Amino acid sequence: MKRLFSKERWKFLFYTVSHPADGFYWIRHQDRGSIAIAILLVLAYGISFSMNRIYASFIVNDIEPRTVNLLAELAGVALLYFILCVGNWSVTCLMEGEGRFKDILIAIGYSLLPMTVTTILATLVSQLVAENEEAFYTILMGVGTAYSVIMMLVGIMQIHNYTIGKTLITLFITVIAVLIIIFLALLVLNLITQVYSFLHNIYMELIFRF
Amino acid sequence: MKTRKRRLLALCLLLAVCLTAVCAQANDSLPYDCYNYDHWNNILYTPAPYVPDGSVSGAALTWQGAPLGAFRTPQDLCVSPDGDLYLADTGNNRIVVLSGDLKTVKQVITGFEANGKAETFSAPYGVAVSQNRQLYIADSQNHRIVVLELDGSFVKYVQNPQSEVLDEGFVFTPWKVSVDYADRVYCVAQNMFQGIMVFTAEGDFTGFFGTISVKISLWDKFWRKIATKEERSKQQLFIPTEFTGIDVDDEGFVYASSKDTDGLQAVRRLNPRGEDVIRKGPMENLGGDRVFGQAGNYAGPSQIVDVVYRDHGIYSLLDLLRGRIFTYDHEGNLLYIFGGKGSQEGTFRTPAAIESIGNHLLVLDSQQANVMIFTETEYGRLINEAVALRYDGDESEAVALWEGVLRLDENNELANSGIGKAYLSAGDNEKALIYLRRGMNRAYYSVAYKRWRNDALRDNISWVLSAVIALVVLGVVWKKLIRPRIAARGGKAT
Repeated sequence: MKRLFSKERWKFLFYTVSHPADGFYWIRHQDRGSIAIAILLVLAYGISFSMNRIYASFIVNDIEPRTVNLLAELAGVALLYFILCVGNWSVTCLMEGEGRFKDILIAIGYSLLPMTVTTILATLVSQLVAENEEAFYTILMGVGTAYSVIMMLVGIMQIHNYTIGKTLITLFITVIAVLIIIFLALLVLNLITQVYSFLHNIYMELIFRF
Repeated sequence: MKTRKRRLLALCLLLAVCLTAVCAQANDSLPYDCYNYDHWNNILYTPAPYVPDGSVSGAALTWQGAPLGAFRTPQDLCVSPDGDLYLADTGNNRIVVLSGDLKTVKQVITGFEANGKAETFSAPYGVAVSQNRQLYIADSQNHRIVVLELDGSFVKYVQNPQSEVLDEGFVFTPWKVSVDYADRVYCVAQNMFQGIMVFTAEGDFTGFFGTISVKISLWDKFWRKIATKEERSKQQLFIPTEFTGIDVDDEGFVYASSKDTDGLQAVRRLNPRGEDVIRKGPMENLGGDRVFGQAGNYAGPSQIVDVVYRDHGIYSLLDLLRGRIFTYDHEGNLLYIFGGKGSQEGTFRTPAAIESIGNHLLVLDSQQANVMIFTETEYGRLINEAVALRYDGDESEAVALWEGVLRLDENNELANSGIGKAYLSAGDNEKALIYLRRGMNRAYYSVAYKRWRNDALRDNISWVLSAVIALVVLGVVWKKLIRPRIAARGGKAT
């Protein structure tokens, strides 16, 4: 536990944010990242996402407060993160990617940090803007998202030792893989419900008979 | 101990029963739901804006000592400037004139004498009374519009329109008719997809009005592109929607309803050039129900069959599909919704036309062959009057009314927004912020917020700036004077 949360690893997180190419290289080759921090960052992003949805000021926020559900959104973000990692891992395994599953978890988790920070900042800024000043809010959100996307690209490029073109191709295939995973998961879920209802029916039948 | 517990339990039960009874009584006696949509299209039930107040059928009326006889598939209603109600009794080929209270028959017009010849009606479908006190009857199966004086004497025909834009062999079958202050005649005719037909006061056809353009989606275009000629000929034609009802307001603008297949805009307000100048409101929706099922008995967008312009920019739409009446103000805000289908009193089978007299709304049901009367409640009155005041520009006077509305229906966004605006103009920005937010009124909320922000800045800027200056001075003192001294003494401050 101490190893995962040590001061050096926290420092290296910020180094990675400011120097993505370098940072992710050392994460891959010197194990300077931490899965625990990555997962923490994912959870932080989930929380900031929900906070933004409910606390952003009325001027910029057209979300029905009753539809905001922290737990559901947290679970959604975490699940998406996990599926994305699994998808990327399964694709890059076959395409000569050098990164381990651990590295992918860290790369995607770390690159959520800019988005988290700007989401929180933008939520604060939104309290101060009036109509026609929403640009401050949108630009802040946009910058954060762009930075995160760039970090993610650089991260995946570095840990797998890919060129930028190959990264984009693998990312595209990753998206397809994610869709396939979701499809299969739904299929399995459906199957399980059917088996369950079949067994349930047999049980009911037996109970009524005897 | 035991008895005490029991007593407590009994008291709780009693209280629970009483509470449910109190909560449930509100709309229980009504045969329909009253509701409105909030900013997120959630349905919020409201108190009743209008309640059923009896109905009038032909069988219950007498004319010249004899029973009038039941109406047969009546299709249109019209209120004259004098407050009489004209009813097109289509199946009986007559026009029945009722007094404004709907108790007595004033006149029954079954025919007229034109050019020395006795004439009758054949399925008179629409009826209108002009401001110049003339009666216009869409005599549909005789293919003409008959113009009579109110006493029944003949004035003229409007018939046989001649124009290059009309197809050869076109048969003029007028359905609904309306007249403006200059005696221009607006007519919805059978199979007339180009729009409303307009006639001059002399009865000459001048052209079409308010044509609804056909919307073809990209997807439809794509399929038409790849279809063969044979397939294309079998496909459904893209035909503009027909108008269903018309009404003319005091300024001569024409309100025309239509059945919109998208459920987005079922009514148009046409200026004298035939352009739609209606305001669609914050939700950009004038199509009746905003939320509806996609499959089943009551699925699909509302089918608006008639529109009535009331006073002060308020107009009501009549929905054939679910039997509901939607009322909007001049800004396109949905004020209230009520009505339903069924066979109880106050519900419809085939609603055909809607009119308003005083604080009553009248709905003509062609299948039940009666006129249903709805009377304004306190809730409806407050909203109508507040909206009327805003229309006339006395928004500040409306505050008391809006407060009354809020007492009956605390969700009412218009009321919250109205009160918020009043606070804003009174200079109480903090309260304005609260109410405008409840009213989901972003534009005014923003104005209030800007003012509040400016005030806050002005009130606090002096001490914030002083604090900043003090901090800077302190920092400089620390860096230049104190830290070097500590360092010189070999202290720990670095």
